[in-house]
Amino acid sequence: MHEYVLKTNQLSKQFKGHRALDKVNLSIRRGAIYGFIGQNGAGKSTLIRLVTGLAFPTGGSIELFGVSEEKALIQNRKRIGSSIESPALFPHMTASENLEVNRILRGIPGKDCVPRMLKQVGLHETGKKKAKNFSLGMKQRLGLAIALLGDPEFLILDEPTNGLDPMGVIEMRELLKTLNRELGITILISSHILSELHLMASHYGIIHRGQLLEQLTAKELESKCRQYVYIKVNDPGMGTATIENELGTSDFEVMQDGAIKLYSFIEQPSKVSSALFSAGLEIESFTAMGEDLESYFTKRIGGNPHV
Amino acid sequence: MYNLIRAELFKLRKNRSFWTLLMAFAVLSLAYPLLYYFDHRSSGQPQFTGAEFLVSFISSNAYIIKLGVAMLAGFFISNEYASGIMKTIASTGHTRDRLYAAKLIGFTGGAMLLSLVFPIISTVEVSLLSGFGQLPDESTPFFLPRLLGLTLLYTAAYAAIGALIAVIMTDSGKTIGGSLIFFLMIDIVLAGIGSKVEIIGQLYDYSIFKLIGGIGKPSIDSGDMLPLLLVPLLTIVLCALVGISVFRRKDIK
Repeated sequence: MHEYVLKTNQLSKQFKGHRALDKVNLSIRRGAIYGFIGQNGAGKSTLIRLVTGLAFPTGGSIELFGVSEEKALIQNRKRIGSSIESPALFPHMTASENLEVNRILRGIPGKDCVPRMLKQVGLHETGKKKAKNFSLGMKQRLGLAIALLGDPEFLILDEPTNGLDPMGVIEMRELLKTLNRELGITILISSHILSELHLMASHYGIIHRGQLLEQLTAKELESKCRQYVYIKVNDPGMGTATIENELGTSDFEVMQDGAIKLYSFIEQPSKVSSALFSAGLEIESFTAMGEDLESYFTKRIGGNPHV
Repeated sequence: MYNLIRAELFKLRKNRSFWTLLMAFAVLSLAYPLLYYFDHRSSGQPQFTGAEFLVSFISSNAYIIKLGVAMLAGFFISNEYASGIMKTIASTGHTRDRLYAAKLIGFTGGAMLLSLVFPIISTVEVSLLSGFGQLPDESTPFFLPRLLGLTLLYTAAYAAIGALIAVIMTDSGKTIGGSLIFFLMIDIVLAGIGSKVEIIGQLYDYSIFKLIGGIGKPSIDSGDMLPLLLVPLLTIVLCALVGISVFRRKDIK
């Protein structure tokens, strides 16, 4: 089994003088939930469309499940489930009929997968209601059910929580996490709701103006975004000894300039300061620092916060 | 491929526009002979028999074929681009060639059903009103199956052109408008230019646009039969190949 579900090599796409994707080298490990972050027009949907075969690259290559040869690539797309941009549904068909047409299209034997999928996304009681009368949230869930038909190994979802109410967002997140954890489905999910991505992604890719700025794991992001108390005292050695002895923690780092990054006691800064003060240390700097995904992303793309 | 065709036929069966067209054509097919029936009754003229009506009015079916193909191309093919369904279809891991071929087959099936509505319903209705009567003396026993067979074949040729226009336009309104203008104007344009440029005239003579007018003739010489069969077949193959080539290169938005 190949370690990477998707790899792109110098992938580029140009539209009439506009470079939508510029030499993107992206890789998604099997079993990952890959949060794909970027502003509108950054190139997220373009990359997804290239991977799913809706558009053709003007440069570079795509490797799906370890193959990049055109015929094998088309064949391997059968192992992908996708919901791109808005969910594509037949408005005059019921949820069940929408799934049935997709089941036939993909050559999935047995009709039993249709009610199973409807139940999985909570649409099993929609009966004869036509898709055109569904709320946006219901349409999103039906789009997900269609993507899940045929038990894909790799799920590509473009803004899947669009239009969902808060409960729907939670349900969708839990469903995706379950699919990833229990069935081992690798998920590429592009979303504007960074806080939502933060709660489920194991890997991140940040794209800006067609260029992949960075790929990092959740652990790497956590360490970059980790909250800490930045402490600068006149005697760093005594400072660390005080933290260890008086506060009983060694969850800190000493920087080259002698500053201490304390990752504990974020909620109790007064306890830290009084311990240092009691030890006779002179506190030069004492600040709570760190970033969340949103501020990290904003910083990474150069300050424009419109995701 | 089998699954793709099954999916297209499933979609056709569930396509509201297709059923609306079918019903509208059926109503027109019922109403049209009635106009003649009551007109002849009030004026005392002899009524058409089913056979006479079929032979006299089969050429009008060409308009229904053109209209049916144009409307269905817009609602059955182009609409899938607008609604985003084409994205789902194109990302299922089938080659574009197969997707196009399956779509063409499903669409052609629908167009063929539409093309049979007028000749069958109106002929049956007139026959019920005034009897079927006699086919023209010069016609052979194969006249009816040949007529229906050629109607289907020419519909398939028109459908191949309609599908090509749909894949180029990818917008329902543009497809319907573009197809209708093309189908209605091509005769005038080719005939007009053909009267001045000999090669265009010959091209028109051997095109489905001209030949469709001859499919209802009671007798067809064996020498005329070959182009009558070959031209629509070549049209289907050529348009399908061009359509596949366009669809292969097309970015689906």
